[in-house]
Amino acid sequence: MAIVRFPALMKFYVDNQSEFSVTGSTVKELLDNLVVRYPTLKTHLFDSNGSLRRYFNIFVNGVHIRELNGMDSPLNENDKIILMASAAGG
Amino acid sequence: MLPELSREEILRYSRHLLIPEVGLEGQRKLKNSSALIVGTGGLGSPVALYLAAAGVGRIGLVDYDVVELSNLQRQVIHGTSTIGKLKVDSAKEKLQDLNPDIQIDIYNEPFTSANALRIAKDYDVLIDGTDNFPTRYLTNDVCVFLGKPNIYGSIFRFDGQLSVFYAKEGPCYRCLFPEPPPPGLIPSCAEGGVLGILPGTIGTLQATEALKVLLGIGEPMIGKLLLYNALDMSFDFVNLKKNPKCRVCGPNADIKELIDYEEFCGVPGHDHGVDGSAGAGLDIPALDLKNRLSPAGNSKLILLDVREPHELQISALPNAINIPLGQLAARLTELDSADDMVVFCKAGTRSARALELLVSAGFKKVKNLKGGINAWAMDVDQSLPIY
Repeated sequence: MAIVRFPALMKFYVDNQSEFSVTGSTVKELLDNLVVRYPTLKTHLFDSNGSLRRYFNIFVNGVHIRELNGMDSPLNENDKIILMASAAGG
Repeated sequence: MLPELSREEILRYSRHLLIPEVGLEGQRKLKNSSALIVGTGGLGSPVALYLAAAGVGRIGLVDYDVVELSNLQRQVIHGTSTIGKLKVDSAKEKLQDLNPDIQIDIYNEPFTSANALRIAKDYDVLIDGTDNFPTRYLTNDVCVFLGKPNIYGSIFRFDGQLSVFYAKEGPCYRCLFPEPPPPGLIPSCAEGGVLGILPGTIGTLQATEALKVLLGIGEPMIGKLLLYNALDMSFDFVNLKKNPKCRVCGPNADIKELIDYEEFCGVPGHDHGVDGSAGAGLDIPALDLKNRLSPAGNSKLILLDVREPHELQISALPNAINIPLGQLAARLTELDSADDMVVFCKAGTRSARALELLVSAGFKKVKNLKGGINAWAMDVDQSLPIY
């Protein structure tokens, strides 16, 4: 299982956890499994076409999924996934 | 030709002169350099203090706010004695006391598309210490168009982000965030809170990056992003590359000049909330709610509080149902769509978002308490604190 890290802005939707394991052999599968576990996340993560919203970024082991294979990027055991949202506070 | 240091300056900066990476030449470079700090708040405070102390020869400060009591938990450049003063004046006073040998230029105006290029053009680096998305996109685009590094930091609760966006050598802010989140989705520090020390941590890192860039030493955070969490004391670094589809710095960029950033982001360029309004016909002012709740107001009215449970310890309205905004979608069955309902939060931003959700779920008789429980505390029940 990959380990997913959540930004403070989203912890709220995942029982206030900042990090936990989720199954999935690709980023898409992992997100689908995540949404099954926490349904309220769905509208925050995806738009009405099912695409990842553009103010979220996903990194696998420190590399943006744009540099990998996007949502089809493969995942291995213990990969570290970072979900990142923009924050404006200053 | 770099400027010479006076005897006093040599003594003042002696700890820098001892470091081979800085030395006399580096300190003269700093004296010859300039930094524009956009925002003199949580991040801007430590950035300005440390850059001034370090001897950056000219520091520009852009802010149009006045110092408020609720700023002082984190905005350490200001003080109790400067409450009510312009932030730029309060900051300049402190910086001149810290280092009278440098030049402080103040801009008591909002940073906008109309003035940003004029203000920024003569500075070597820009430091993004703003508190809202429109000014962050503006600061980014100004840096891209003028070819300057953007020392970026942002904060929320216990989380901080840091990077150096420099389109000449790496990605820009838009490469990472092509679009802002929809208005109201991401709470500001005014709405969601922030650990007072967090801007100190991130701001001093921004100041460090600014000095590295100005001195040309070390490895600035170009193409890298730091994600910091104070609770876990975790520092995660991720790599960033230019986005080939970036609309300002990509090969097919179509944004060639500054745009209307408030329109682009759908929110005003300041952190004072979206005035706590849900829009035309959907608001109820605090005084009207008071009348509706009075015995003469008769009809049954449900009060829905969408704040976090810990906020109820600060202030609360009797008989209100508490369902935090994040849980509302999953708990709609606890509510009756036929009821008359007034939704509220701290200042009206989260409740406006809740109202959208309720209306889309078929609730027809819902209103937003304009300005939230803080407006109620101001206009109706002065025994409640404003926070």
